[in-house]
Amino acid sequence: MTTPLTAAARPSHEAGAGAGLPLSAAQSGMWYAQALDPLSPAQNTAECLEIAGPLAPEVFAVALRRVTAEADALRVRVTDTPDGPRQHLLAEVEPPLSVHDVRGAADADAAAETWMRADLAEPCDLAAGPPFRHALFRVGDERWLWYQRIHHLVMDGFGYSLLVRRTAEVYSALVRGEEPGPRAFGSLADLVAQDAVYRASEACAADRDHWRTAFADRPEAPRLAGRGALPSRTFLRTTAHLSPESAERLRELAAGLRATWPDALIAAQALYTSRACDRADVVLGLPMMGRLGSVALRVPGMVMNVLPLRLSVTPEATFAQLVRQVVLGIREARRHQRYRYESLRRDLGLLGEARGLVGPLVNVMPFDYGAEFAGAWARARNLSAGPVEDLTVNIYDRADGRGLRIDHDGNPALYDGDALASHQERFLNLLERLTATDPQQPLATHAIATPAERALVIEEFNRTDHEVPPTTLIGPIEARAARSPDATALVFGDTALTYGQLNARANRLARHLQGLGAGPGKLVAVSVPRSVELVVALLAVLKSGAAYLPLAPDYPARRLTYMLQDAAPVCAVTDHAGRLPSDAGTPLVALDTLDLSGYLPVNPARALTPSHPAYVIYTSGSTGRPKGVVVSHGAIDNRLRWMQHAYPLGAGDRVLQKTPSSFDVSVWEFFWPLRAGAALVVAEPGVHKDPVRLARLITERSVTTCHFVPSMLQVFLAAPRADGCTALRQVFASGEALPRETATLFARTLPGAALHNLYGPTEAAVDVSYHACAADGSGPVPIGRPVWNTRLYVLDAARQPCPPGVPGELFLAGRQLADGYLHRPELTAERFVADPFGAPGGRMYRTGDLARWTAAGEVEYLGRTDHQVKLRGQRIELGEIEAALTARPGVDGACALVREDGAGEQRLIGYVTGGADPAAVRAELAVALPEHMVPAAVVALDVFPLTPNGKLDRAALPAPVFGGSGAARRPVGAREATVTRLFAEVLGVADAGPDDAFFDLGGTSLLAVRLVARIREECGAELTIGSLFEAPTPAALAARLDTAAPAAGDALDVVLPLRAEGVRPPLFAFHPAGGLSWCYAGLSARLSPDQPLYGIQARGLLDDGPLPPDLETQAAGYVRALRAVRPHGPYRLLGWSVGGILAHTVAVLLQEAGEEVELLALLDAFPAEQWRERSAPEEGDALTAVLRMAGFDRTDERTREDVLATLRRAGSPLAGLGDHTLSRIVDIVPHHARMMRAHRHRRFEGDVVFFTAAAPRAEDWLTREAWRPHVSGRIVNHDLDCTHPQLMREKQWDAIAAVLAPHLTDTAG
Amino acid sequence: MALTLDLIHADVADALGEDPADIPVDENLLDYGLDSVRIMALLERWRRDHGVDAGFADLAEAPAIEAWAPLLGVG
Repeated sequence: MTTPLTAAARPSHEAGAGAGLPLSAAQSGMWYAQALDPLSPAQNTAECLEIAGPLAPEVFAVALRRVTAEADALRVRVTDTPDGPRQHLLAEVEPPLSVHDVRGAADADAAAETWMRADLAEPCDLAAGPPFRHALFRVGDERWLWYQRIHHLVMDGFGYSLLVRRTAEVYSALVRGEEPGPRAFGSLADLVAQDAVYRASEACAADRDHWRTAFADRPEAPRLAGRGALPSRTFLRTTAHLSPESAERLRELAAGLRATWPDALIAAQALYTSRACDRADVVLGLPMMGRLGSVALRVPGMVMNVLPLRLSVTPEATFAQLVRQVVLGIREARRHQRYRYESLRRDLGLLGEARGLVGPLVNVMPFDYGAEFAGAWARARNLSAGPVEDLTVNIYDRADGRGLRIDHDGNPALYDGDALASHQERFLNLLERLTATDPQQPLATHAIATPAERALVIEEFNRTDHEVPPTTLIGPIEARAARSPDATALVFGDTALTYGQLNARANRLARHLQGLGAGPGKLVAVSVPRSVELVVALLAVLKSGAAYLPLAPDYPARRLTYMLQDAAPVCAVTDHAGRLPSDAGTPLVALDTLDLSGYLPVNPARALTPSHPAYVIYTSGSTGRPKGVVVSHGAIDNRLRWMQHAYPLGAGDRVLQKTPSSFDVSVWEFFWPLRAGAALVVAEPGVHKDPVRLARLITERSVTTCHFVPSMLQVFLAAPRADGCTALRQVFASGEALPRETATLFARTLPGAALHNLYGPTEAAVDVSYHACAADGSGPVPIGRPVWNTRLYVLDAARQPCPPGVPGELFLAGRQLADGYLHRPELTAERFVADPFGAPGGRMYRTGDLARWTAAGEVEYLGRTDHQVKLRGQRIELGEIEAALTARPGVDGACALVREDGAGEQRLIGYVTGGADPAAVRAELAVALPEHMVPAAVVALDVFPLTPNGKLDRAALPAPVFGGSGAARRPVGAREATVTRLFAEVLGVADAGPDDAFFDLGGTSLLAVRLVARIREECGAELTIGSLFEAPTPAALAARLDTAAPAAGDALDVVLPLRAEGVRPPLFAFHPAGGLSWCYAGLSARLSPDQPLYGIQARGLLDDGPLPPDLETQAAGYVRALRAVRPHGPYRLLGWSVGGILAHTVAVLLQEAGEEVELLALLDAFPAEQWRERSAPEEGDALTAVLRMAGFDRTDERTREDVLATLRRAGSPLAGLGDHTLSRIVDIVPHHARMMRAHRHRRFEGDVVFFTAAAPRAEDWLTREAWRPHVSGRIVNHDLDCTHPQLMREKQWDAIAAVLAPHLTDTAG
Repeated sequence: MALTLDLIHADVADALGEDPADIPVDENLLDYGLDSVRIMALLERWRRDHGVDAGFADLAEAPAIEAWAPLLGVG
């Protein structure tokens, strides 16, 4: 394609003069940006020219007047008209100029600068005009500063150069008494006309296609701050210079690569950005003057554009190759340079703070103005280059002998001065090193850290050398037992053992194990539920000299067999025969039938050294096979010695053992207290999942020290009696990221205890870093500093150290590293690599964790680099799930990932292609994998979505609830397109079709509020949440907006069609106490697409009609409502809470009328008599209930007005209901409570499907067994791991829908 | 030494890092990677070696070898 050489036909200058000229596309971008924040001065651009010589201000003023008369762009006023913004060209404008003699000031330059800054901070009124101003400062007898400030809408950087040169030319002529040459500028009308011609041209369409194709995959913008923001009203700037020598070397380097120095500079910035953002795919923004080959070369105005330059930066490539990529990339970009950057972002949907197309802007201004004012040379300095969205690196080549001037301009919403200065210092340092290095070297040679930063992160932050004696894990325990044999060592239920007793029992078993071949370097499996015997067995294995291999008793048999065969232990200790599968052939030692009385109770002899293995723990393996991590005595001994030093335990301490032995946190729980003379309190099996029982145990046993996985800590702190654990003095959190909110809640709940955040993979003896949480801390909780004899490295893609603040992969080195993976030398070699920073021969472990150093020398955890995930503290390799999926018959391809839904719930989801039934695949996985590794849903796909370069596009995988129209039609009309886009945006799905229903796409009521707000914002249309229930698709909603039909109150009717389509017998879901059935919206998406779902809602939400006198009357009314939808059975009924009582009552009424009820599902609903003895809630409780319905805890709301105010403030969907309805709900809640207590159940003939919210509850007297007299058939129960309110969450709907599916077949129709 | 069309052609190709045979004399040089830095570099070279007095805007406005020839004093 060839860019036309000649400009379009010139329109007459007078054209449109009366109505004003439209804005060019470039100007429009500026106009809308300014209109967003009319008082922002961000679009003021300014320059300061230092003129070294005499200057005549009056002549200068004449020159300015003349240039202003020549430059159209300076003489415009811009106004908003019904047809859009217009610029009116004024015939005459007197240039605002003030002259200041500041020679008397102590610092004349500073005085001038202060004035300029103040002027620059004043917003410019484009409608009032003029859009510029000048000031002259006399800072010395023969030294002047010329300040000119111009709004960016009318002028760009190249425009400045035209103005300055012309001003200098005119001034010089006038001083010489000559007539200046004729006007050399082109007209603004030409510029606007040329722009209009382009926009209507095929070239424009072709350019748009080019860009849209190039960025079809919408690469994530590389952001040095790790996030984006909207431009602020101001910007931060740090300035530095690249020395003339280095600048010269840069020119030579570039010339040697057949490139220009700006090309090389852009390549350097790409390298820096790639490393600083930990990304290989880098998109930089290049401001371009956009005038080559155009009339605009002679027009001062706003023409410049930003072009995205996409580069691939890998450590293996050379700098020469990167520069070549830049040269070719710019060449390609330049061919499409007229297409506006703003348009491209809009086309790609990448506007706004969270989205962006490019990272840093690199703005190279390679020319000096060369302006001369009657013999006096002028040196220009930019003061403001316009709004800064993220970071702009401005580079000026000014002929002042100071090399290249480099300004880093940052958005203060993203950078502080220190951060900006660090980026600049590192960039300059990198640039210096690049110019001094052979460009044929791989980029991996270069680090972005400065030498000082490197010393800091490699040496200073890792000063952890500490002498430790060469002991083992077990030695110090035996020494402690000898020293204090009568102290309490272990408490379990009613049993307590002294150190002497425990030691003796373990010794006898150890001797037995030695007889079976156990000894140093050997392995003994232990599969015993938490008990005294478990502790004895672990100690015995260690005492025999062998390493122990914990096998979780509740793992699937297939997995246990695999681990036994893989590890080949000499024997396996179990509590009783049959605990472990026998097909592995491992000799079993069953403790319940074992007579050890013949063995000596003294410590057995063994030739054990610190380098022998102490334990082997299996973790998830990415290739589908779990892998055994071998940890030596020396490694774990170091860890426990450090822990005792950092958090000393004494004889009075009691440490809780509640972590399953197959999770490495249990290692310190078991052995640290026994080494320190403290007591070990062993929790009964199951207690670790039950916050209430845990709190009771901790309180009753005066536990002082314990561990929590953060998600469990959060649950524990919310438990009713957690604050009673006053003996607790230290709590350790590890296993997953510790949210700050949890740490804050901890400090509030247990003010007397310290919370320590620990971090470490199984591959490095439990934990390698630590951080004490401050009660008033803020921001992410760091994983902290390295423990004794341990080094942490944060490395970039080239394995170069990352400076503080820059994310990279975390590597670990030091004494605590595991030996490797059992029988897996290749895998060991891959993950445990040579440590280039430590002593020769040292190893480092590649964690796969993303992390960064803080300036204070602590590490922050940022996520994973690979497909390993953690769900509730359990480590999962997605590869293992994928391998398990692929192994099923009928599965061709598989992929697994963790999705977070709108409510912040994380779920493991599997995707498969092939003919297999996804539900069956999931069921089979449940047999093969531990519970935490079974996907919450398996989704069948025809094909996997791919990125343009053929990789699996994980982001495009549908949400598991996806019921959208597979072959979606394209939206028709602007409004439908807008609404469809907003659906996709709010739901976070890649694609929504105009006919996809909101709730089928995973919409929740919270998301509904957001969607309605967005539609109001973008379409300016009134809309209520109710409209969304009535018109749940973009097409229907758009039609409703078009007809401007106000939302009816249908969402409050007795029958609420959550999904009206479908041929199967509908499912009716009865409202809970509040009277609304919206809570069932989440269910519809999870049912078969042809399964209709209707909510049944209380009467009286819309009007003031009387509430029903009793439940029987209410149910009879519902029977009539049901029959209006479906005159005869079979019927399918479901209800949660009070809704369950209603469903049961309606079912009985229907059966009594001779109808068939084929499904009655009760969701944590309990019959009337269970409540009868308890007092009914009054209005006060009703207010609490209403707040709960909206997801709030009641704080200080006293009256219903307070409650309404809270809901409105929080934007709750309930607030959208209007005061009348809310007020009615406050009536309806206690009314239900009263009716329910008076109700008498009759008998339902048939089975009931029951769901129990199995988490502990305050009303522990509630039992589903109470239904027995009211149900003739079976009560088939399903426990769900949640509380009563949590039942209505997304996560539980999956499980509920899966159970209901076989009951909701197509047969009866 | 006087500038010739062949010399212009060779210099332009050199600035673009291309073979002269690959640079047509009648096409828009922007499509071949010409940018303002390269225009300035060429202009400086021609001013120094051949005493050319064309301006940046003159060359930048019509970036093709044939269009440049008269501006650079080549018949």
